[in-house]
Amino acid sequence: MWKKILSIIFLFYLFALLQSSFFSHFDLFGAVPNLVFILFFIVVFFEEKTNNYFIIVSAIMAGIFLDISSYTIIGPSIILLTVIGLLLKKFQLLLKNTGDSHPFVYFLPLFAVSFLIYNFSKELYLYFVDSSRIAVHFGFPEIFLLIYNALVASILFFVYRKFINYTSNGKDL
Amino acid sequence: MTGLKNFYINKKHKGWLKLLIGTIIFIIVVFILGLLTTSIKNYFYAFSAPIQKTFWFAGGSSSKFLGSFFRVGSIVNENENLQRQNQDLLSQVAFLQSIEEANRAQSDVSTSCQNSEFNLMMAGVIGLDEGDILSINKGSTDGIAEGMPVVNQQNILFGKVLKVYKNFSKIMLISSKDSVINIKVQQQVPADNTDSVPEIDGVVKGGGGLSAYLDLIPVSDNINSQDVLITSAIEKSFPKDLLVGKITKIDKDDQKPFQQAQIDLFFNVKTTDNLFVITNYKQAN
Repeated sequence: MWKKILSIIFLFYLFALLQSSFFSHFDLFGAVPNLVFILFFIVVFFEEKTNNYFIIVSAIMAGIFLDISSYTIIGPSIILLTVIGLLLKKFQLLLKNTGDSHPFVYFLPLFAVSFLIYNFSKELYLYFVDSSRIAVHFGFPEIFLLIYNALVASILFFVYRKFINYTSNGKDL
Repeated sequence: MTGLKNFYINKKHKGWLKLLIGTIIFIIVVFILGLLTTSIKNYFYAFSAPIQKTFWFAGGSSSKFLGSFFRVGSIVNENENLQRQNQDLLSQVAFLQSIEEANRAQSDVSTSCQNSEFNLMMAGVIGLDEGDILSINKGSTDGIAEGMPVVNQQNILFGKVLKVYKNFSKIMLISSKDSVINIKVQQQVPADNTDSVPEIDGVVKGGGGLSAYLDLIPVSDNINSQDVLITSAIEKSFPKDLLVGKITKIDKDDQKPFQQAQIDLFFNVKTTDNLFVITNYKQAN
């Protein structure tokens, strides 16, 4: 368990660095993938049981790295990710079981909704708290951002699933 | 039976108690992290700046390499446009050479005044975050303060300092959706036109995604594609005459009181490694 948590923390750190430096050069019409959010969502999505402690620890770590990258205080992303993570797990329990325990048809809509909730809530928070914010920005660029992030998330979904299958065949992380 | 019921209620209460304690611990953790924001961010960037800088350079090189494959067509068009612009400029140069002699002395004086007026602090770019926020490796210990203008060596305006930490700062680029600056349109005057050109004022609003647009130009004013935009004297946050961008496409509707235009900002964050913070510009407000 500790090994898993430490690996996830290292990945969050690496993805936070890549997101704000390397991938800034690969924007599509100004949209850059939010790798930390994508990784958090995938980790929670593939978490087998309703392991709330693991979800909260992941949300705290991912939230810290997301808030370090932004110019706000550390906290809003932690709360948002915790709520999104716990709701996601509860929602997954309600969904009809298929042959595949983590189907892609569930992943993509859930990711889209969660991403929109996260971005919109953060916009609202910044609008009410930060004096430099002059308006709530939510329009076509944000939709494009969602499409770009969903694309990257889809790729990482299959990579992570392969990795999960590989580790479950061998030893658990 | 009663004992069993009590046991059930106790167990239920225990669950609620665990949830309550868990929530309180969570709130305390978030609150403490919030209080330690400045220190955490500063340690993070102090520790990660060298790695981040390496990733920044690697990303720039990779993007240039890959971009060259995808942008062959646009490079050809760009080259043709540049050749055309070069010819136009050559004809203007010939005309301006005579005027230049007379203005040289005065312009030299004003340039030296401008240079001596501003203290510039060089800072390295270490990252670009969402919302068009740039990170630089200089902070309050280097004399950086919030609101200071940020330019490059060609006097191209990038933005202003939004947040300052001990060893690094966050810059809000002029392309940020929260950025609005007063500008002046420098019209392209034909070489044979000796009439004085009226000054046109407007604002450049950030569009997000490293883009911006021109707004609040009265519909009666005549602006053209390729006109250059510079900061206006009425701008409070920035010194005047800093380069902002050029007009690419005009959106004029006679039914509206103002016209808008798409613009190309002069700055290129992806190819920029160092910037200059003007540390002694006195803001009017």
